[in-house]
Amino acid sequence: MEFKDYYKILGVDKSASADEIKKAYRKLARKYHPDVSKEADAADRMAEVNEANTVLSDPEKRAAYDNLGKESAYRAGQDFRPPPNWDAGFEFTDHGDSAGMDSAAFSDFFEQMFGRAARAQRGAGADHGGTASGHFRGGPPTQQRGEDHHAKIELDLRDAYAGAERMLTLRGARLDDNGHLVNEERQLQVTIPKGVREGQLIRLSGQGSPGYGGAPNGDLFLEVQFKPDTRWRAQDRDVYQSVNVSPWEAELGGPIQVTTPGGSTVEVNVPAHWKTGRKLRLKERGIPAATPGDLYLELHVVLPPATTDEQRAAYSNMAKAFAQFNPRSAQ
Amino acid sequence: MPTPTSNTGATRAWAELLDDDVARHLTLEDLARACAMAPGWVTERVSQGLLQGDQTSGSWRFTSTTVIRARRMARLESSFDADPQLAALTTDLMEEVTELRRRMVQLESALKGL
Repeated sequence: MEFKDYYKILGVDKSASADEIKKAYRKLARKYHPDVSKEADAADRMAEVNEANTVLSDPEKRAAYDNLGKESAYRAGQDFRPPPNWDAGFEFTDHGDSAGMDSAAFSDFFEQMFGRAARAQRGAGADHGGTASGHFRGGPPTQQRGEDHHAKIELDLRDAYAGAERMLTLRGARLDDNGHLVNEERQLQVTIPKGVREGQLIRLSGQGSPGYGGAPNGDLFLEVQFKPDTRWRAQDRDVYQSVNVSPWEAELGGPIQVTTPGGSTVEVNVPAHWKTGRKLRLKERGIPAATPGDLYLELHVVLPPATTDEQRAAYSNMAKAFAQFNPRSAQ
Repeated sequence: MPTPTSNTGATRAWAELLDDDVARHLTLEDLARACAMAPGWVTERVSQGLLQGDQTSGSWRFTSTTVIRARRMARLESSFDADPQLAALTTDLMEEVTELRRRMVQLESALKGL
């Protein structure tokens, strides 16, 4: 396990005040927030910054972390094993400062020091405060529902038409009969039914953290994202598909064959005198549901390259036939 | 809920698509837990119009979109001590940026194909 220098990550001195830590965190959060950042490794850096802030903004966790540093001079990246009883005398309370952070966003270092151990010690209770709080040591155990987990899952739009099978790998920890922490990895085979939409949540009941004292397990929520695809995009249940057409198909109209995201090939009649920006609607060919979405075909005219004498002559004849046509006049 | 094992040794999980009908929307408690906030935090933001909820037959129900939005707002409020209105405004802009980026990627790809 790699030692994490949280002060270095936030760019603050070890004597930094709570206010300085907060300011440093906010500055970095603005830079690396994955929703707005243009940095290539924004998500990883944000997770690192979040983690450092979670420890250093919490007086109890910070004191335990500082205490660890006093005993041995660990450096960032150095191989690290927590010394026995490193946390003796420290009591950790959740303050909800990790609100909205996915459990998977924490490093092994954090999980070992503050995350998994704390959850396992208190019986896998909620690690996100606000509605619940837990103590690393001390306090009578109470009945507590296991925490929910949130993650993202990337699917192809075609999966929304046909359904999909995905194998997920989940990491967690539990205490064995001797009270030792045991890291566990398990695999979950998930059948995703057809009809799934972008931004929709999939709930896997009981696949979150184990409940404590007879309370039920938490759930695992997967947020669906579609892989970017040059051929089509989805908006709610409607699907927009790019279809290339020749200049004569666009102007003269007529039937064309189109393969839909659902895999079927349909014959579509293109009306004559096609204008850029018009869409053709194929009713109920969008994402399937009780009320299916529609499929919109966005037609793009593609010019055939003139590579032979005969083809170049065809373009010359076209120029003669359309001598009055000025494509810039409409600009 | 039984969790049968597949022939690969992995546990097979039943996936439930939320939102498909009102019964599959999340409750107030579900949403609050997803944001690591108290139910009062959610109802306050619903009453301010910052989150959308459906109160049919006396109990609140929320869609996936609201869950994702509420988690983002909660994170902004707790990370930046942000005022709820400001967190909601920032969330609106983030959603718009995400959509615009998606459209840009799509359009750039379409242009490359021309």
